[in-house]
Amino acid sequence: MKALDLIRRAGRSLKSAKVRTILTSLAIGVGAFTLTATLAAGNGIRDYTDRLISNNFDPAELIVGRDPEIENSGAPNTSPKEYDASVSNLTVGGDGSSLQIKQVTAEDVEELKKYDFVEQVRPNYQVQARYITAPTTDKQYTLTLQAYNPGQKPELEAGKLPEKGDIENGTLLLPTTYVELLGFKSAADAIGKEVSIATAQPFTEEALQEYFANLQMGAATGGETTAPEPTEQLTTYKVAAVTKQGAASLSFAGLPVMLSNEDTGALYDFTTEGTQNHGKYVYVYVRVKGGEDEQKALDAKAALKEDGYYVQTSQDIQKTITQFVDVLQILVGVFGVITVVASVFGIINTMYISVLERTREIGLMKALGMRGRDVAWLFRIEAAWIGFLGGVIGSALAFGAGTALNPWLTETLGLGEGNSILIFDFGQIAILIASLILVAIVAGWFPARKAAKLDPIEALRTE
Amino acid sequence: MITLRGISKTYGKKKQRFQALKDINLEIPDGASVAIIGKSGSGKSTLMHVMSGLDRPQTGEVIVDGQDILKLNTKAVDRFRSEKMGFIFQAFFVQGNESSFHNVALPLEIAKVPRSKRKAMIIEALERVEMPEKVTEYARNLSGGQKQRLAIARAIVAKPSILFADEPTGNLDSATGERIEKLLFDLNKQQGVTLVIVTHDHDLASRCDIRVNIKDGVIQSVDTAKRPKAKGGKS
Repeated sequence: MKALDLIRRAGRSLKSAKVRTILTSLAIGVGAFTLTATLAAGNGIRDYTDRLISNNFDPAELIVGRDPEIENSGAPNTSPKEYDASVSNLTVGGDGSSLQIKQVTAEDVEELKKYDFVEQVRPNYQVQARYITAPTTDKQYTLTLQAYNPGQKPELEAGKLPEKGDIENGTLLLPTTYVELLGFKSAADAIGKEVSIATAQPFTEEALQEYFANLQMGAATGGETTAPEPTEQLTTYKVAAVTKQGAASLSFAGLPVMLSNEDTGALYDFTTEGTQNHGKYVYVYVRVKGGEDEQKALDAKAALKEDGYYVQTSQDIQKTITQFVDVLQILVGVFGVITVVASVFGIINTMYISVLERTREIGLMKALGMRGRDVAWLFRIEAAWIGFLGGVIGSALAFGAGTALNPWLTETLGLGEGNSILIFDFGQIAILIASLILVAIVAGWFPARKAAKLDPIEALRTE
Repeated sequence: MITLRGISKTYGKKKQRFQALKDINLEIPDGASVAIIGKSGSGKSTLMHVMSGLDRPQTGEVIVDGQDILKLNTKAVDRFRSEKMGFIFQAFFVQGNESSFHNVALPLEIAKVPRSKRKAMIIEALERVEMPEKVTEYARNLSGGQKQRLAIARAIVAKPSILFADEPTGNLDSATGERIEKLLFDLNKQQGVTLVIVTHDHDLASRCDIRVNIKDGVIQSVDTAKRPKAKGGKS
């Protein structure tokens, strides 16, 4: 019998047992639903992280450090390492525990600049600012500070950014959230206005010594001693532009106030003076010439590693995030697969009943000269139809529900406009349905064999 | 021409051993109508199954059109059956959930007749049994007589040279049965189809050219009151 005739006959026979067919298909459909939704969620999250990475990390920039922790995406490694002057303490845990980490020194920065593939080296200044204020208000507000990255232009509410290179020294980029707080009428109004950032220098060793000396003297003379005040510095900048939160910006601490690299460096030097962090950075950004080409970035990484640096590329960061997504997806996928496995027994049961019910029909077909192999395929194709129906029902429901819920889900998760958490890939769905058909055929294998082996004489004797 | 030589068929083993056919020798000329008569359990159905290649005897030869079908493998026997033989059963065995059209199409699909040729053949077969208007009707909605006529259409659609009928009128009232008998004998006479009827109805048997009486697996007598007509031959 020809395949097309078998498929049609199997389809008609299913149609005559509609309720049973649909119920059996629904079982496999639940699996198809779960798997389709899981795949779509995986696609969505991967797409989102891709955008997150490309919006927040310049692919041409490498994160370069001196400590192996730079490349470690898991829990910090606490095994002892050799001490040298580049080691300093870093507070890591909420419990106040600190990690000693080898830092990049100013000499290292000079060395890094000498590589011929290096276009630019930007230290990662971690400036602890005190507050931000403006002449238009008497209030002071907290802030996070960051150096402007020319490779990563933020979205603007007002103002302008230079086409190329750093922003002008003495200017800053103000997040839109500060506009009203600092007493400006609008984002446009803030452009060119002055704001001030306060930073503080910790006690110098001399100040402390003086304090202790005074304390001893005071105790002796009964005079008053004043505790040393940290040296505070108020630096004034002009607002160059007002930034706003992009749809895919990766920022856990809110949008930072951005200064030029030189200005940030000056603040860093001021705030770290006299501390072990002075002139040292946890890591630096190294911009590779033509590093948008993945191969060039990887070559640079290899060369730097050879010289004892530890390097992370934006691909490495992406990998860390997608690894997490993959694990989640596999977990949910396993549930989908379990559902499919459960539905396999439903198919086997249905097919056995179908074979029993149609003993005479099978006998007749074999008496008329139909090959046992064709009889078996008739039933396998019937099972395949069930798999196909289940796959289509499940993925169609997932698609419908997903499309309907997508805006709500995206909003609830706060992914921002233009992102969607569920992305349906029709190629994937087609492969899924094809696999379910295959699974159903395997499920129908033994019932079909039973049908093929039926003795037509016995079968036709059944009254 | 169907020739049976030294056919013996045994079922079961040891104590349950049961010999259904004992040394059967029989010759059926092309275009003949043959009745195999016997009580239930006499071996008449087994004889029909052996002739059609559905059942394999332990010994003997079944020569159909010069070919010993016992020497063929299952695949070849299946093909042989689908191309040369038609079957009609007492219980009709039509598929109620299929239309008349698809019931009749089954043998054509099995014989791999191209789709383009099928429709005309199916309509022709349904016209032959005088029910072309039922082509789209589901078989379950047909009366008993109509079902059997549908079964006949299915049996003749692939133009077989031999038609096996196992108690074709057993489930029908006499008027309907009469109509079915007429249809079968018309096919036999007009198209030269060899007709082999298994029955215990002596009236039906008396209309056949050859009557084979069988009892306990042994042929008691072969009665040839009427000779097959000269024009009989392969269609």
